[in-house]
Amino acid sequence: MLLKNNYHQYVVNVIAINVILAVGLNIVKGFAGQVTVGHIALAAIGAYTSAVVSTKLGLPFWAALPTAMLVTGLAGAIVGIPSFRLEGAYLALATLGLAESVRIVISGTESLGGAIGYENIPPPFIGSMALDAHRSYYYVVMPLALLGIYFSFSILSSDIGRAFKALREDPLAAAASGVNVRKYKIIAFVLSALYAGCAGSLKAHMAPGFLNPNDYTIIEMVTLLLMVVFGGIGHIWGGVIGAVLVTIINDLTQDYYQYRMAIFGSVIVLTVMFMPRGIGGMIDHHLVRRRFKAIREAKSRAT
Amino acid sequence: MDYFIDLVIIGLSIGMVYALVALGISLIFSGLDIVHFAHGEIYMIGAFIGLMLFRHLGIGYVPTLLLAVVLTGIVGVLIERLFYRRLTRAGGGYTVAGMGMIIAGFGMSIVLQNVAYLIWGPKALPFPVPYGRPVEIGNLALPMSYVWIIATALILMFVLNLLLKKTMIGLAIRAVAHNKDIAYLSGVNVPLMISLIFGIGCALGAAAGVLIGPINYVQVLMGISVLIKAFAAAVVGGFGSLPGAVLGGLLVGVIESLGAGYVSGTYKDTYAFVLLIFVLMVKPSGILGVEAKVKA
Repeated sequence: MLLKNNYHQYVVNVIAINVILAVGLNIVKGFAGQVTVGHIALAAIGAYTSAVVSTKLGLPFWAALPTAMLVTGLAGAIVGIPSFRLEGAYLALATLGLAESVRIVISGTESLGGAIGYENIPPPFIGSMALDAHRSYYYVVMPLALLGIYFSFSILSSDIGRAFKALREDPLAAAASGVNVRKYKIIAFVLSALYAGCAGSLKAHMAPGFLNPNDYTIIEMVTLLLMVVFGGIGHIWGGVIGAVLVTIINDLTQDYYQYRMAIFGSVIVLTVMFMPRGIGGMIDHHLVRRRFKAIREAKSRAT
Repeated sequence: MDYFIDLVIIGLSIGMVYALVALGISLIFSGLDIVHFAHGEIYMIGAFIGLMLFRHLGIGYVPTLLLAVVLTGIVGVLIERLFYRRLTRAGGGYTVAGMGMIIAGFGMSIVLQNVAYLIWGPKALPFPVPYGRPVEIGNLALPMSYVWIIATALILMFVLNLLLKKTMIGLAIRAVAHNKDIAYLSGVNVPLMISLIFGIGCALGAAAGVLIGPINYVQVLMGISVLIKAFAAAVVGGFGSLPGAVLGGLLVGVIESLGAGYVSGTYKDTYAFVLLIFVLMVKPSGILGVEAKVKA
């Protein structure tokens, strides 16, 4: 790796984890159009499941990760059930309530470390080699992030992706054209929960192997929202760009915490006001314009 | 038995606070068709404005309350004009929102929270109001602060009811809430009324903040938990229904108080969510909701 500095390596790993989170949130929010604000709680569930499974049951990371994803997927299905009857703001309310409840229950439960945090989560092992340095952990995180992006593209271009888009544009019309609305809503929630569980588990096993319920508050949720909104809702590369940019800015402005959150908040409001499709939308717009220009020029040359 | 009655009284007075915030949320929802996710921060800013007025101007509690309510109402109108108006107008009329407005609300709540932090700092500040001795009813000693909350909230609700039902402005507000196009055609100044509705909603939130100040401390992070409880109250009573918001607020307050007294105080903040999710699953239109406006 080019990065000499251990801290930079850490930031890169965090970026990869946030990319997984943002891409996952984009599936349920961008593709399927369900307004959920509880995504960060799913990441918390994934992280704590992974931690408990690996410390209390002694399973290795390679078994804890799928277990965490499975449990989070189930939790995602539970979060998705309210979406059968609720839309828009109501769904946001329900998921916000669920998310805050999860955090409060975790910080009130002694066996999960309570408000102090959960310690001594082991790093992944290959044979007898521990991947406890940020540099070696990179080779676990980055492939998973790339895989996540790849799967997200495959989902979008499959029939599931088309059903999601139909659902987003108009649930009634989608139902009329033979899309099983409930089934695809649940699928969207479960898929995005799998991403969240993966990201959560990766966060848990990253050195120093420590989790705190205060890392899963509304502030983190808004930061995650910013990644997706600023990058472009429903735009995969946009979400990735958003995750990278926001994580880097987040890290550079560590010392100006309060100004940072005020600015993040304003960026969200202003993005929604003036650039509702985010960076991804702008890039798309530009590319489409260029294509049209090229076609027009080709035509004028032909005639 | 005394313990039970104590808990119910505490629940009712906290419930009145939730009811005031829920009234604001419900009013904004019925008038603007948006769900305002930054309302908890409006409540927090109202409490801080009240505290500053009380400390530095040396006026009594009642003038403080009134002044804070008016000032926060103005802050609310400014926020609506500068930021939300563009979003609510984007759909043609004054109804759109959906995902954009929800996200913008969250962004605004973080902005307000951190602006308040920059101005007033992270410390929880006391709001020392000399209330006098507790009222004794039978063998119950009722602290004056609870009496104040319940009485003031009832007066505010009464005034709001008069405003909406007996005045021309109230008629215009109800017309706008019912149908903006028809209100336009009947000569109602819809943009002005929308600002007014948002301002009144924020003013109610500020009143709640100033009322709770003397019981709890005033601090930057006080908004989020009240926001969710007020949402729970609004949904339980029926979103958009004003009597429903009051009923829901009282219900949430009493359930939370009883739960904290008899079950466990650690999970106190989750009871409202459980109630919220239960009502959303079983009867999304709420107890008094006439029809569920699903698309916010």
